Amino acid sequence: MRSRTIAKPAAPKAPKPVRVQAEHGRPIAVAGVRVEEVREDWIVQDKWWTEQPIRRHYWELITVEGRNVVVFHDKLVDRWFSQTA
Amino acid sequence: MIVCVYLPRFELVAAAGGPEALTGWALAIAPSGSGPARVGEVSGTAQAQGVQQGMMLGEALARCPALELVPGDPVQVAQSWEQIARALEGIGAQLELARPGLAYFDGAGLVGLHNGEDGLLLATRKALARPARIGVAPSRFCSLAAALETRTRRVRRVSERDVRRYLAVQPVGILSYRSQTATIVASLQQLGLGKLGGLVKLTAAEIADRFGEPGTLARGLALGHDTPLRVRRVEDRLTESMQLGEANSGLLLERTLEVLVDRLLARPQRRGRTLRAITLSARLAERGTWREEVVFRQALSDPRRIRLALSQRLQLLPAPATALQLAVDEFGPAGGDQGGLLDGERTARLARLQDAVGQVRTLAGPHAALRVLVVDPRSRVPERKVLYAPWQQ
Repeated sequence: MRSRTIAKPAAPKAPKPVRVQAEHGRPIAVAGVRVEEVREDWIVQDKWWTEQPIRRHYWELITVEGRNVVVFHDKLVDRWFSQTA
Repeated sequence: MIVCVYLPRFELVAAAGGPEALTGWALAIAPSGSGPARVGEVSGTAQAQGVQQGMMLGEALARCPALELVPGDPVQVAQSWEQIARALEGIGAQLELARPGLAYFDGAGLVGLHNGEDGLLLATRKALARPARIGVAPSRFCSLAAALETRTRRVRRVSERDVRRYLAVQPVGILSYRSQTATIVASLQQLGLGKLGGLVKLTAAEIADRFGEPGTLARGLALGHDTPLRVRRVEDRLTESMQLGEANSGLLLERTLEVLVDRLLARPQRRGRTLRAITLSARLAERGTWREEVVFRQALSDPRRIRLALSQRLQLLPAPATALQLAVDEFGPAGGDQGGLLDGERTARLARLQDAVGQVRTLAGPHAALRVLVVDPRSRVPERKVLYAPWQQ
Protein backbone atom coordinates (compact mmCIF):
# COMPACT_ATOMS: atom_id res chain seq x y z
CA MET A 1 0.00 0.00 0.00
CA ARG A 2 1.35 3.40 -0.93
CA SER A 3 1.43 5.98 1.82
CA ARG A 4 1.61 9.73 1.50
CA THR A 5 2.96 11.88 4.30
CA ILE A 6 0.80 14.88 5.08
CA ALA A 7 2.77 18.10 5.29
CA LYS A 8 2.52 20.32 8.31
CA PRO A 9 -0.52 22.56 7.77
CA ALA A 10 -0.35 26.33 8.13
CA ALA A 11 -1.78 27.85 11.31
CA PRO A 12 -5.63 27.87 11.32
CA LYS A 13 -5.93 31.63 10.93
CA ALA A 14 -2.68 32.30 9.10
CA PRO A 15 -2.83 35.31 6.72
CA LYS A 16 -2.98 34.49 3.01
CA PRO A 17 -1.64 36.86 0.35
CA VAL A 18 -4.42 38.41 -1.72
CA ARG A 19 -4.63 40.83 -4.65
CA VAL A 20 -6.31 44.05 -3.54
CA GLN A 21 -6.91 47.24 -5.53
CA ALA A 22 -6.96 50.31 -3.34
CA GLU A 23 -7.57 54.03 -3.71
CA HIS A 24 -5.92 56.26 -1.15
CA GLY A 25 -5.34 53.18 1.01
CA ARG A 26 -9.02 52.16 0.90
CA PRO A 27 -9.72 48.78 -0.81
CA ILE A 28 -12.03 48.94 -3.83
CA ALA A 29 -11.60 45.39 -5.15
CA VAL A 30 -10.46 42.09 -3.62
CA ALA A 31 -9.18 39.34 -5.95
CA GLY A 32 -10.81 41.13 -8.85
CA VAL A 33 -14.22 41.41 -7.15
CA ARG A 34 -15.48 44.93 -6.51
CA VAL A 35 -16.10 46.03 -2.93
CA GLU A 36 -19.69 47.06 -2.23
CA GLU A 37 -19.28 48.37 1.28
CA VAL A 38 -16.68 48.87 4.00
CA ARG A 39 -18.19 47.68 7.26
CA GLU A 40 -15.33 48.50 9.57
CA ASP A 41 -11.64 49.25 9.65
CA TRP A 42 -9.17 49.12 12.52
CA ILE A 43 -5.45 49.30 13.13
CA VAL A 44 -3.36 46.72 15.00
CA GLN A 45 0.08 47.75 16.21
CA ASP A 46 1.77 45.22 18.42
CA LYS A 47 5.12 43.79 19.46
CA TRP A 48 6.75 47.09 18.58
CA TRP A 49 9.26 46.45 21.35
CA THR A 50 10.50 43.24 19.64
CA GLU A 51 12.36 42.48 16.43
CA GLN A 52 9.12 41.24 14.84
CA PRO A 53 6.71 44.14 15.19
CA ILE A 54 3.18 44.09 13.75
CA ARG A 55 1.63 47.08 11.94
CA ARG A 56 -1.59 46.22 10.14
CA HIS A 57 -4.62 48.11 8.88
CA TYR A 58 -7.60 45.74 8.86
CA TRP A 59 -10.67 46.18 6.63
CA GLU A 60 -13.92 44.25 6.93
CA LEU A 61 -15.63 44.39 3.55
CA ILE A 62 -18.76 43.26 1.70
CA THR A 63 -18.12 42.42 -1.94
CA VAL A 64 -20.65 42.84 -4.76
CA GLU A 65 -21.12 39.06 -4.58
CA GLY A 66 -22.33 39.48 -1.01
CA ARG A 67 -19.31 37.86 0.61
CA ASN A 68 -17.96 39.18 3.88
CA VAL A 69 -14.15 39.32 3.74
CA VAL A 70 -11.46 40.61 6.07
CA VAL A 71 -8.24 41.88 4.55
CA PHE A 72 -5.36 43.82 6.00
CA HIS A 73 -2.57 45.92 4.67
CA ASP A 74 0.77 45.01 6.27
CA LYS A 75 2.48 48.38 6.53
CA LEU A 76 5.91 46.88 7.17
CA VAL A 77 6.08 44.90 3.92
CA ASP A 78 3.47 46.93 1.99
CA ARG A 79 1.40 43.90 1.02
CA TRP A 80 -2.25 42.84 1.35
CA PHE A 81 -3.46 39.67 3.06
CA SER A 82 -6.84 38.09 3.69
CA GLN A 83 -7.56 36.55 7.05
CA THR A 84 -10.33 34.86 9.00
CA ALA A 85 -10.82 37.17 11.96
CA MET B 1 41.52 6.25 36.54
CA ILE B 2 38.92 8.95 37.08
CA VAL B 3 39.17 12.16 35.08
CA CYS B 4 37.60 15.27 36.59
CA VAL B 5 36.79 18.18 34.28
CA TYR B 6 36.20 21.45 36.07
CA LEU B 7 35.14 24.69 34.36
CA PRO B 8 35.27 27.42 37.02
CA ARG B 9 32.44 29.98 37.18
CA PHE B 10 30.54 28.18 34.45
CA GLU B 11 27.15 29.68 35.32
CA LEU B 12 28.51 33.22 35.58
CA VAL B 13 30.34 32.94 32.26
CA ALA B 14 27.14 31.74 30.56
CA ALA B 15 25.02 34.48 32.17
CA ALA B 16 27.53 37.26 31.44
CA GLY B 17 27.88 36.24 27.80
CA GLY B 18 31.43 34.88 27.74
CA PRO B 19 34.65 34.73 29.75
CA GLU B 20 35.81 38.13 28.44
CA ALA B 21 32.90 39.82 30.23
CA LEU B 22 34.36 38.79 33.58
CA THR B 23 37.77 40.36 33.13
CA GLY B 24 38.27 43.29 35.45
CA TRP B 25 34.62 43.49 36.50
CA ALA B 26 33.13 42.74 39.88
CA LEU B 27 30.20 40.57 38.84
CA ALA B 28 27.88 38.22 40.65
CA ILE B 29 24.77 36.29 39.66
CA ALA B 30 21.75 38.10 41.06
CA PRO B 31 19.65 36.30 43.68
CA SER B 32 16.84 34.22 42.22
CA GLY B 33 13.22 35.19 42.84
CA SER B 34 12.52 32.68 45.58
CA GLY B 35 14.29 32.16 48.91
CA PRO B 36 16.72 34.45 50.72
CA ALA B 37 18.57 37.05 48.64
CA ARG B 38 21.98 35.41 48.23
CA VAL B 39 24.35 36.05 45.34
CA GLY B 40 25.33 33.21 43.02
CA GLU B 41 28.75 32.66 41.42
CA VAL B 42 31.10 35.67 41.63
CA SER B 43 33.90 36.88 39.36
CA GLY B 44 37.55 36.92 40.41
CA THR B 45 37.50 40.71 40.90
CA ALA B 46 34.50 40.46 43.21
CA GLN B 47 36.10 37.59 45.07
CA ALA B 48 39.24 39.67 45.59
CA GLN B 49 37.06 42.25 47.35
CA GLY B 50 35.66 39.69 49.76
CA VAL B 51 32.46 38.65 48.00
CA GLN B 52 31.74 34.93 48.18
CA GLN B 53 29.18 32.74 46.48
CA GLY B 54 26.12 32.29 48.70
CA MET B 55 26.73 35.56 50.58
CA MET B 56 23.69 37.68 51.51
CA LEU B 57 23.16 40.42 48.90
CA GLY B 58 23.38 43.24 51.46
CA GLU B 59 26.72 42.04 52.78
CA ALA B 60 28.06 41.51 49.26
CA LEU B 61 27.17 45.09 48.26
CA ALA B 62 28.62 46.45 51.49
CA ARG B 63 31.93 44.72 50.81
CA CYS B 64 31.99 45.65 47.15
CA PRO B 65 29.85 48.72 46.28
CA ALA B 66 30.85 48.41 42.61
CA LEU B 67 29.42 44.89 42.46
CA GLU B 68 27.33 44.42 39.32
CA LEU B 69 24.53 41.87 39.44
CA VAL B 70 23.93 39.69 36.39
CA PRO B 71 20.52 37.97 36.03
CA GLY B 72 20.93 34.19 36.04
CA ASP B 73 20.43 32.39 32.75
CA PRO B 74 19.71 28.76 33.71
CA VAL B 75 18.52 27.85 30.21
CA GLN B 76 21.73 29.05 28.57
CA VAL B 77 23.73 27.27 31.28
CA ALA B 78 21.87 24.01 30.65
CA GLN B 79 22.27 24.32 26.87
CA SER B 80 26.00 25.09 27.04
CA TRP B 81 26.56 22.30 29.55
CA GLU B 82 24.63 19.81 27.44
CA GLN B 83 26.74 20.82 24.43
CA ILE B 84 29.93 20.15 26.39
CA ALA B 85 28.58 16.85 27.73
CA ARG B 86 27.72 15.72 24.19
CA ALA B 87 31.20 16.68 22.98
CA LEU B 88 32.82 14.66 25.78
CA GLU B 89 30.53 11.73 25.07
CA GLY B 90 31.73 12.06 21.49
CA ILE B 91 35.23 10.92 22.56
CA GLY B 92 33.68 7.88 24.25
CA ALA B 93 33.43 9.20 27.81
CA GLN B 94 30.61 7.94 30.02
CA LEU B 95 29.90 10.97 32.14
CA GLU B 96 28.74 11.67 35.62
CA LEU B 97 27.51 15.26 35.57
CA ALA B 98 27.87 16.56 39.12
CA ARG B 99 26.67 20.08 38.30
CA PRO B 100 27.16 22.59 35.47
CA GLY B 101 30.90 23.00 35.07
CA LEU B 102 31.90 19.79 36.89
CA ALA B 103 31.95 16.32 35.31
CA TYR B 104 33.73 13.01 35.84
CA PHE B 105 34.43 10.02 33.66
CA ASP B 106 36.42 6.83 33.90
CA GLY B 107 39.33 7.11 31.51
CA ALA B 108 40.65 3.56 31.96
CA GLY B 109 38.74 2.14 29.00
CA LEU B 110 39.56 5.08 26.74
CA VAL B 111 43.34 5.12 27.08
CA GLY B 112 43.78 2.49 24.36
CA LEU B 113 41.34 4.30 22.08
CA HIS B 114 43.27 7.57 22.26
CA ASN B 115 46.84 6.23 22.26
CA GLY B 116 47.60 6.59 25.93
CA GLU B 117 46.72 8.92 28.77
CA ASP B 118 48.18 12.01 27.11
CA GLY B 119 46.18 11.31 23.96
CA LEU B 120 43.00 10.98 26.03
CA LEU B 121 43.63 14.28 27.80
CA LEU B 122 44.36 15.98 24.49
CA ALA B 123 41.09 14.62 23.07
CA THR B 124 39.29 15.85 26.20
CA ARG B 125 40.70 19.35 25.76
CA LYS B 126 39.76 19.39 22.09
CA ALA B 127 36.21 18.30 22.93
CA LEU B 128 35.89 20.98 25.58
CA ALA B 129 37.21 23.68 23.20
CA ARG B 130 37.70 26.04 26.16
CA PRO B 131 40.14 26.37 29.04
CA ALA B 132 39.44 23.85 31.78
CA ARG B 133 41.08 22.39 34.85
CA ILE B 134 41.59 18.66 34.66
CA GLY B 135 42.44 16.30 37.51
CA VAL B 136 43.32 12.63 37.11
CA ALA B 137 43.29 10.30 40.10
CA PRO B 138 42.12 6.83 41.16
CA SER B 139 38.94 8.14 42.84
CA ARG B 140 36.31 10.75 42.02
CA PHE B 141 36.97 12.83 45.13
CA CYS B 142 40.73 12.80 44.66
CA SER B 143 40.40 13.80 41.00
CA LEU B 144 38.20 16.72 42.08
CA ALA B 145 40.84 17.84 44.58
CA ALA B 146 43.45 17.63 41.83
CA ALA B 147 41.32 19.62 39.38
CA LEU B 148 40.62 22.31 41.98
CA GLU B 149 44.29 22.60 42.84
CA THR B 150 45.65 22.82 39.32
CA ARG B 151 45.63 25.92 37.15
CA THR B 152 43.54 26.43 34.03
CA ARG B 153 44.93 24.59 30.97
CA ARG B 154 46.93 22.31 33.26
CA VAL B 155 46.46 18.70 34.31
CA ARG B 156 47.21 17.40 37.80
CA ARG B 157 47.76 13.66 38.12
CA VAL B 158 47.70 11.77 41.41
CA SER B 159 48.91 8.17 41.43
CA GLU B 160 47.36 5.32 43.44
CA ARG B 161 50.09 5.25 46.07
CA ASP B 162 50.06 9.05 46.60
CA VAL B 163 46.31 9.39 47.13
CA ARG B 164 46.26 9.43 50.96
CA ARG B 165 49.31 11.66 51.26
CA TYR B 166 47.90 14.03 48.65
CA LEU B 167 44.44 14.25 50.19
CA ALA B 168 45.84 14.74 53.70
CA VAL B 169 47.07 18.24 52.83
CA GLN B 170 43.92 19.31 51.01
CA PRO B 171 41.49 21.73 52.72
CA VAL B 172 38.24 20.33 54.14
CA GLY B 173 36.39 22.90 51.99
CA ILE B 174 36.54 20.39 49.12
CA LEU B 175 33.88 18.40 50.94
CA SER B 176 31.40 21.18 50.13
CA TYR B 177 31.44 20.02 46.49
CA ARG B 178 29.63 16.86 47.59
CA SER B 179 26.04 17.43 48.71
CA GLN B 180 26.16 14.65 51.35
CA THR B 181 29.21 16.12 53.10
CA ALA B 182 28.67 19.85 52.48
CA THR B 183 26.72 20.24 55.73
CA ILE B 184 29.64 19.37 58.02
CA VAL B 185 32.31 21.60 56.45
CA ALA B 186 31.57 24.63 58.65
CA SER B 187 31.56 22.46 61.80
CA LEU B 188 34.89 20.88 60.87
CA GLN B 189 36.46 24.29 60.32
CA GLN B 190 35.08 25.57 63.63
CA LEU B 191 36.68 22.59 65.36
CA GLY B 192 40.03 23.54 63.85
CA LEU B 193 40.11 20.74 61.28
CA GLY B 194 41.38 22.71 58.32
CA LYS B 195 42.91 19.81 56.36
CA LEU B 196 41.57 16.40 55.46
CA GLY B 197 44.56 14.85 57.21
CA GLY B 198 43.13 15.99 60.55
CA LEU B 199 39.91 14.19 59.79
CA VAL B 200 41.71 10.94 59.06
CA LYS B 201 43.56 11.06 62.35
CA LEU B 202 40.27 10.70 64.20
CA THR B 203 38.88 7.19 64.52
CA ALA B 204 35.83 6.10 62.55
CA ALA B 205 33.86 5.76 65.80
CA GLU B 206 34.70 9.31 66.91
CA ILE B 207 33.69 10.73 63.54
CA ALA B 208 30.46 8.72 63.44
CA ASP B 209 29.62 9.81 66.98
CA ARG B 210 30.04 13.51 66.23
CA PHE B 211 29.01 13.85 62.57
CA GLY B 212 26.99 10.74 61.78
CA GLU B 213 26.70 9.44 58.22
CA PRO B 214 28.15 12.54 56.48
CA GLY B 215 31.20 12.35 58.75
CA THR B 216 31.77 8.68 57.99
CA LEU B 217 31.48 9.38 54.28
CA ALA B 218 33.87 12.34 54.55
CA ARG B 219 36.46 10.24 56.36
CA GLY B 220 36.16 7.54 53.71
CA LEU B 221 36.68 10.14 50.98
CA ALA B 222 39.73 11.52 52.77
CA LEU B 223 41.15 7.99 52.88
CA GLY B 224 40.74 7.68 49.11
CA HIS B 225 37.60 5.53 49.15
CA ASP B 226 34.74 6.58 46.92
CA THR B 227 31.54 5.26 45.41
CA PRO B 228 31.43 4.25 41.72
CA LEU B 229 30.51 6.88 39.15
CA ARG B 230 26.82 7.31 38.37
CA VAL B 231 27.06 7.75 34.62
CA ARG B 232 24.19 9.20 32.67
CA ARG B 233 22.54 7.31 29.86
CA VAL B 234 22.97 8.76 26.41
CA GLU B 235 19.45 9.34 25.11
CA ASP B 236 17.59 11.35 22.52
CA ARG B 237 16.80 14.78 23.81
CA LEU B 238 13.30 15.81 22.84
CA THR B 239 12.37 19.46 23.11
CA GLU B 240 9.37 21.50 22.10
CA SER B 241 9.18 25.27 22.38
CA MET B 242 6.77 28.02 21.48
CA GLN B 243 6.82 31.81 21.37
CA LEU B 244 4.18 33.51 23.48
CA GLY B 245 1.91 36.31 22.35
CA GLU B 246 1.25 39.59 24.06
CA ALA B 247 -0.94 38.36 26.93
CA ASN B 248 1.56 35.88 28.29
CA SER B 249 -0.13 34.79 31.47
CA GLY B 250 -3.08 32.80 32.76
CA LEU B 251 -5.05 31.03 30.05
CA LEU B 252 -2.46 31.53 27.31
CA LEU B 253 0.28 29.94 29.42
CA GLU B 254 -1.96 26.99 30.27
CA ARG B 255 -2.93 26.52 26.64
CA THR B 256 0.62 26.82 25.42
CA LEU B 257 1.67 24.21 27.96
CA GLU B 258 -1.12 21.96 26.69
CA VAL B 259 0.10 22.27 23.10
CA LEU B 260 3.72 21.62 24.10
CA VAL B 261 2.81 18.50 26.10
CA ASP B 262 0.73 17.17 23.21
CA ARG B 263 3.50 17.87 20.70
CA LEU B 264 6.08 16.19 22.92
CA LEU B 265 3.94 13.09 23.33
CA ALA B 266 3.23 12.95 19.60
CA ARG B 267 6.92 12.95 18.62
CA PRO B 268 7.76 9.64 16.89
CA GLN B 269 11.20 9.65 18.59
CA ARG B 270 9.42 8.97 21.88
CA ARG B 271 8.70 5.45 20.60
CA GLY B 272 5.87 4.92 23.07
CA ARG B 273 8.08 5.50 26.10
CA THR B 274 6.74 7.16 29.19
CA LEU B 275 8.28 10.33 30.60
CA ARG B 276 10.02 10.28 33.95
CA ALA B 277 11.52 13.78 34.18
CA ILE B 278 10.90 17.00 32.25
CA THR B 279 12.51 20.43 32.30
CA LEU B 280 10.15 23.36 31.96
CA SER B 281 11.93 26.57 30.97
CA ALA B 282 10.99 30.07 29.88
CA ARG B 283 12.69 33.09 28.37
CA LEU B 284 11.66 36.08 30.45
CA ALA B 285 10.39 39.32 28.96
CA GLU B 286 12.83 41.50 30.91
CA ARG B 287 16.12 39.61 30.74
CA GLY B 288 17.33 36.18 31.67
CA THR B 289 15.59 32.84 31.78
CA TRP B 290 13.80 30.57 34.22
CA ARG B 291 14.14 26.80 34.53
CA GLU B 292 12.41 24.19 36.64
CA GLU B 293 13.08 20.46 36.66
CA VAL B 294 10.03 18.30 37.27
CA VAL B 295 10.46 14.65 38.23
CA PHE B 296 7.20 12.72 38.17
CA ARG B 297 6.36 10.34 40.98
CA GLN B 298 5.94 7.63 38.38
CA ALA B 299 6.68 7.47 34.66
CA LEU B 300 3.77 9.01 32.75
CA SER B 301 2.38 9.32 29.27
CA ASP B 302 -1.04 10.66 30.21
CA PRO B 303 -1.15 14.27 28.94
CA ARG B 304 -3.65 15.36 31.62
CA ARG B 305 -1.49 14.18 34.48
CA ILE B 306 1.64 15.65 32.92
CA ARG B 307 -0.13 19.00 32.44
CA LEU B 308 -1.39 18.92 36.01
CA ALA B 309 2.13 18.40 37.36
CA LEU B 310 3.65 21.06 35.10
CA SER B 311 0.97 23.72 35.53
CA GLN B 312 1.71 23.88 39.26
CA ARG B 313 5.34 24.69 38.48
CA LEU B 314 4.28 27.23 35.90
CA GLN B 315 2.85 29.34 38.68
CA LEU B 316 6.40 29.83 39.99
CA LEU B 317 7.33 31.91 36.91
CA PRO B 318 9.01 35.00 38.39
CA ALA B 319 8.16 37.39 35.51
CA PRO B 320 6.22 37.50 32.21
CA ALA B 321 7.69 35.13 29.64
CA THR B 322 8.22 35.49 25.90
CA ALA B 323 8.79 31.79 25.14
CA LEU B 324 8.10 28.48 26.83
CA GLN B 325 10.02 25.21 26.33
CA LEU B 326 9.63 21.62 27.44
CA ALA B 327 12.50 19.14 27.30
CA VAL B 328 12.47 15.47 28.25
CA ASP B 329 15.30 14.72 30.67
CA GLU B 330 14.59 11.06 31.24
CA PHE B 331 12.32 8.49 29.69
CA GLY B 332 10.56 5.68 31.53
CA PRO B 333 9.65 2.26 30.17
CA ALA B 334 7.43 1.98 27.12
CA GLY B 335 3.68 1.81 27.67
CA GLY B 336 2.86 2.05 31.34
CA ASP B 337 -0.42 3.92 30.86
CA GLN B 338 -2.61 3.42 33.86
CA GLY B 339 -5.83 1.71 32.89
CA GLY B 340 -9.13 2.53 34.56
CA LEU B 341 -10.59 0.22 37.19
CA LEU B 342 -13.78 -0.24 35.19
CA ASP B 343 -13.12 -0.68 31.50
CA GLY B 344 -16.43 0.36 30.02
CA GLU B 345 -17.56 0.59 26.44
CA ARG B 346 -16.40 4.19 26.17
CA THR B 347 -12.88 3.29 27.23
CA ALA B 348 -12.74 0.48 24.69
CA ARG B 349 -13.99 2.81 21.96
CA LEU B 350 -11.39 5.43 22.86
CA ALA B 351 -8.67 2.78 22.86
CA ARG B 352 -9.71 1.73 19.34
CA LEU B 353 -9.78 5.36 18.25
CA GLN B 354 -6.31 5.92 19.73
CA ASP B 355 -5.07 2.87 17.89
CA ALA B 356 -6.59 4.13 14.64
CA VAL B 357 -4.96 7.54 15.09
CA GLY B 358 -1.65 5.81 15.76
CA GLN B 359 -1.96 3.86 12.51
CA VAL B 360 -2.90 6.97 10.53
CA ARG B 361 0.12 8.77 11.96
CA THR B 362 2.38 5.89 11.06
CA LEU B 363 1.16 6.00 7.47
CA ALA B 364 0.68 9.72 6.89
CA GLY B 365 3.04 11.36 9.38
CA PRO B 366 2.61 13.23 12.65
CA HIS B 367 0.39 15.94 11.12
CA ALA B 368 -2.30 13.49 10.02
CA ALA B 369 -4.39 13.85 13.19
CA LEU B 370 -4.61 17.33 14.66
CA ARG B 371 -7.10 19.26 16.74
CA VAL B 372 -7.76 22.98 16.91
CA LEU B 373 -6.94 24.43 20.29
CA VAL B 374 -8.10 27.88 21.39
CA VAL B 375 -5.01 29.47 22.88
CA ASP B 376 -5.70 33.17 23.27
CA PRO B 377 -9.28 34.01 22.24
CA ARG B 378 -8.93 37.70 23.09
CA SER B 379 -5.84 38.32 20.99
CA ARG B 380 -6.09 41.21 18.52
CA VAL B 381 -3.94 39.23 16.08
CA PRO B 382 -6.20 36.46 14.68
CA GLU B 383 -3.44 33.90 14.01
CA ARG B 384 -2.66 33.86 17.72
CA LYS B 385 -6.18 32.91 18.76
CA VAL B 386 -6.06 29.24 17.76
CA LEU B 387 -3.39 26.66 17.03
CA TYR B 388 -3.18 23.12 15.71
CA ALA B 389 -2.12 20.63 18.37
CA PRO B 390 -1.50 16.90 17.98
CA TRP B 391 -4.63 14.88 18.64
CA GLN B 392 -4.48 13.15 22.00
CA GLN B 393 -7.09 11.05 23.68
